[in-house]
Amino acid sequence: MDELFEPDGTPRAVARPLVDALERLGHDGLMDAGRRRDAIFVAQAITFETTGEGGATHERPFPLDLVPRILAASEWDSIKHGLAQRIRALNHFVDDVYHGREIVRQGLVPWRLVASCPHFERAVHDIHPPGGVYTHVAGCDLVRDRDGTWRVLEDNVRVPSGVSYVLENRAAMARLVPELFARYAVRPIEHYPQILLRALRAMAPSAASDATVVVWTPGPANPAYFEHAFLARQMGVELVEASDLVVRDDMLYLRTTRGLERAHTVYRRLDDAFIDPLAFRPDSLLGVPGLIRAYRAGNVAIANAPGTGVADDKAIYRFVPEMIRFYLSEEPILQNVETYLLSDPEVLEHVLEHLDTLVIKPTGESGGRGVMIGPDAEESEIVRMRGVLTAEPDRWIAQDLVELSTVPTLGSDGALHPRHVDLRPFAVFGERVDIIPGGLTRVALEEGSLIVNSSRGGGSKDTWVLADGVEPEAPVPTLADTAAPELPDLRFGQWNDQQQQQQQQGPSD
Amino acid sequence: MHFTIRYLSEYRYGGPVTDNLNALRVRPAATLCQQCDEFQTRIAPEARMTRHLDYFGTEVQEFAVVAPHDELTIDVRARAITRAPSPPPDGTWGGLQSRAYLDAAGEYVLPWKDQPATPGLDQLQERIRAESPLQTLRLLCQEIPQRFEYRRGATYVSSDVGHLLETGAGVCQDFAHLAIVLLRRHGIAARYVSGYLWAASTDGGAKSMEVDTHAWLEALLPSAEPGGEPGWVSADPTNSGLADESYVKIGHGRFYSDVPPVKGIYRGTARSELSATVTMARLDLADSALAAA
Amino acid sequence: MLARIARELYWLGRNLARAEFTARAVEAVFQSELHGAIDSVPSVSFGAGGLLTMLGAVDENQPAGTEALAHLTLDGDRPGSMLASVERARDGASTVRDVISAEMWEAINITALGLRGGGQPGWAAAAGPYLSSQYVKERTSLIWGVAGRSMLRDEAKCFLDAGGLIEVSDMVLRMLRVALPGADSPRADGYAPILLKAVGGFHAYLRAVTAPPNAHPVARFLLFERAYPDSVAACVDSLHAAFTAADSGPRNSTPVLRVSRLAADLDFQRRTLPDGAELTGICERTQQELARIDQDVAERYFAGAYAAGTWN
Repeated sequence: MDELFEPDGTPRAVARPLVDALERLGHDGLMDAGRRRDAIFVAQAITFETTGEGGATHERPFPLDLVPRILAASEWDSIKHGLAQRIRALNHFVDDVYHGREIVRQGLVPWRLVASCPHFERAVHDIHPPGGVYTHVAGCDLVRDRDGTWRVLEDNVRVPSGVSYVLENRAAMARLVPELFARYAVRPIEHYPQILLRALRAMAPSAASDATVVVWTPGPANPAYFEHAFLARQMGVELVEASDLVVRDDMLYLRTTRGLERAHTVYRRLDDAFIDPLAFRPDSLLGVPGLIRAYRAGNVAIANAPGTGVADDKAIYRFVPEMIRFYLSEEPILQNVETYLLSDPEVLEHVLEHLDTLVIKPTGESGGRGVMIGPDAEESEIVRMRGVLTAEPDRWIAQDLVELSTVPTLGSDGALHPRHVDLRPFAVFGERVDIIPGGLTRVALEEGSLIVNSSRGGGSKDTWVLADGVEPEAPVPTLADTAAPELPDLRFGQWNDQQQQQQQQGPSD
Repeated sequence: MHFTIRYLSEYRYGGPVTDNLNALRVRPAATLCQQCDEFQTRIAPEARMTRHLDYFGTEVQEFAVVAPHDELTIDVRARAITRAPSPPPDGTWGGLQSRAYLDAAGEYVLPWKDQPATPGLDQLQERIRAESPLQTLRLLCQEIPQRFEYRRGATYVSSDVGHLLETGAGVCQDFAHLAIVLLRRHGIAARYVSGYLWAASTDGGAKSMEVDTHAWLEALLPSAEPGGEPGWVSADPTNSGLADESYVKIGHGRFYSDVPPVKGIYRGTARSELSATVTMARLDLADSALAAA
Repeated sequence: MLARIARELYWLGRNLARAEFTARAVEAVFQSELHGAIDSVPSVSFGAGGLLTMLGAVDENQPAGTEALAHLTLDGDRPGSMLASVERARDGASTVRDVISAEMWEAINITALGLRGGGQPGWAAAAGPYLSSQYVKERTSLIWGVAGRSMLRDEAKCFLDAGGLIEVSDMVLRMLRVALPGADSPRADGYAPILLKAVGGFHAYLRAVTAPPNAHPVARFLLFERAYPDSVAACVDSLHAAFTAADSGPRNSTPVLRVSRLAADLDFQRRTLPDGAELTGICERTQQELARIDQDVAERYFAGAYAAGTWN
């Protein structure tokens, strides 16, 4: 389905003002805005590294499509509640897995599946994080199937990225094509960094309101470095690397120009394997030795908590609806995509017979790596996949193919073409779950393609969630008088002739 | 048997080092046939020690020496009492499929994926298949020391079983790893055990001796009675048989890196030199109290 | 603030100032060559073999001139070139993007983009070095302006400024030592106004000093005039203020004390040195002292990030 146009080609009611505005801008107006967009992104070095044919990488301006995506208020409402529900359940699951294992004892999730997750971290067994929150920042990938139903395609509760593009996209759209916003009340998103900072402060292990929060980046070579720096700057906190951090007496400190200073909350943007060589990966010297000790002692909070990767494993995904029923006693609001675990020989056989209609994903990867889309795959690829699945069935899952909805997208010819999209909303779990309206809409720029990952040639769109009623416009303050005031002595007008009679007095004695 | 154990590690560094963080897994565990009645650890230079139980139930002691130093001493003293384990259950192969067995086996029966699939493994796997899981375990413990030479320095801390098969020699850690891989291939749950071994003959002889930390394994064997509970059985593929009361267990894990006796990291460019000794003495022999003192 | 960040900011300041004063030096060379041609003083041009060598543009057996100037401006492979300084500044700025403002990052990034690949059309001509150095002068002024308006006046700004100040004083001292060595030749007198114009201090000089812009008074002005912001004395004063503000204990801080002594020494020399006295010695001593301050700074403020070495 197309989200802006009816099947007969007329704009849907909600899209009519947008389509009108786009027509008024016209081909030239859009192309011109596109050129200005690229110039702005290059100037700010908001670029993305892509891997082309043959493995060569090159940088290009982050591909923001100028046609926004529109979500009605009611639609967003159900997405928001569905996501909040899902993230609460995932958080319960993480807590359960590292403590009581109730869900396993009830026979709902097989223990062997949990224990074989590559991101199940035994080193954080039995640690209680402050506030009982593990999944502070979550970015679940949503898609709409043929009839428009929203479904969750993947959960991401380790280090989801992309929120900086959401904010930069909105800022760029407001600069480039302000006229598109004219007849819509679009809900703001700019407060995301403040929401995040509030959550990071709330989880700090000290009662002090001046808890020191830091963003931990692997360094400028990381593809998401721009986002790390962006978030640190927007929150007004330090962006640190491993060499800036040291643990002494089970406390975390920053190396500053004035010696060591304590840090309370770390928003880390790197995987568990690289945060503490003593606790993880004995072959690695990266990270901050002792960090997990400080964490266990309750002296530092880590977002997201180490070990959350067990909840966004692609095999565990299949059980999320069960988790929602088990932990929350609620029915899932958002549906999963039908998923097949291949460790069951019967299921495996069924999947092997239908490889040409299914999507096959490796459980331990992210970012679309290693995914095979059955209907698009060459025969040789399917044959190869059959061998791989038979050899190691539990390293893969199969899913039904979801068609993905389309949104009109500006082509290089200046015309609009329908292109497939997904949506990654960003949730922050502090004292409650906050989700900023919309999220990152990723769009496949090739006709018919279902691959939306930016590392593989996808673009993005500004995502508008409409406010329920149109809010009254605030009065625009007028400019103050800007003429320079007159000099004090001029205030009294022109020169006047004045002579004073000399009247020297003598001494008063 | 009643033992005193002294595990002394002395590190010398080529120059001053700082931020020396270590985690020790050295305390004899409390199990059905073993208890630890005295335990103390001394660190020089002095450092504050914290303790917790890890995922596998092993006690971990952690400390950090922050100020610059060029020597580190870890001096562990323990007393442990062991009893002979009860006779191993000799259930059938069919018992491996029971609900009770799989529940108890948990992750210890999952294939160990990081290990290379060499043809040598397949041969060995076939060779050790016997009438029952218990017989397989016994056969395995005889087969490994026959085929492989015990030689220090033949392998490294991080060696995998491919390395052992290739060089034909290794140490107890490698033997235990290989045995675990093979048992799991037969569907028998197996886990790695770290501990101390009184290597003298059990009928007396020496009252005090220098040994090393030792590694063996525990295999989960199905009960001989239908519906009975399976049981973990200790076996030592380095010394050709099931373990007895001369084994003092510290803890277990999936493999070595889940229960290393000492794991540490320090800051500095200086290299370190280690001298480590484990001295065991028996208290339950008539005049051994003198020897231990 | 983080020791690593402080270090990056300090070097960002140094690299920006280096780029700016390289541009100024190029302009001085260019102007003096025009000047030389007009005065028909054959085979002598301001800084030939001197200024260029100082900036690392000339090899022993390579002719000076336009080609050397071109290297000095846009040859990214030469660490002393304007482009290389700007690229270093950009690299540094990209690692402190969260500390400096978005506007400042953008200003630095655009400057690097503008210089890359030979820069703008027309820069390949004979006047190219002059045009590109004009560009860098304009851009660095803009960057410092943006920094002044958009950055908090906190420790970060102190370190950025300190890096800039130490580099400016060093560059001014270098130019003085090369351009006005003897200060007693009429040729040096001729170059003095060119030097003044190049560093942008001509009008300031005319307003502050009554003597004609000959070598001696110009050198004294660039060394001692505390009212002129790019003079060595003014830079050292500002450096003192920056370190005092950034330091947790300025009363027993080696860099603060050393800067403070240097400021006092410069002031003493200004009052006691007779007009026309030789200035080369004090230039040299000041430069050495600045190098020591640089070391003190690294030890006191940046060591936290690196001193302890690697993990084993």
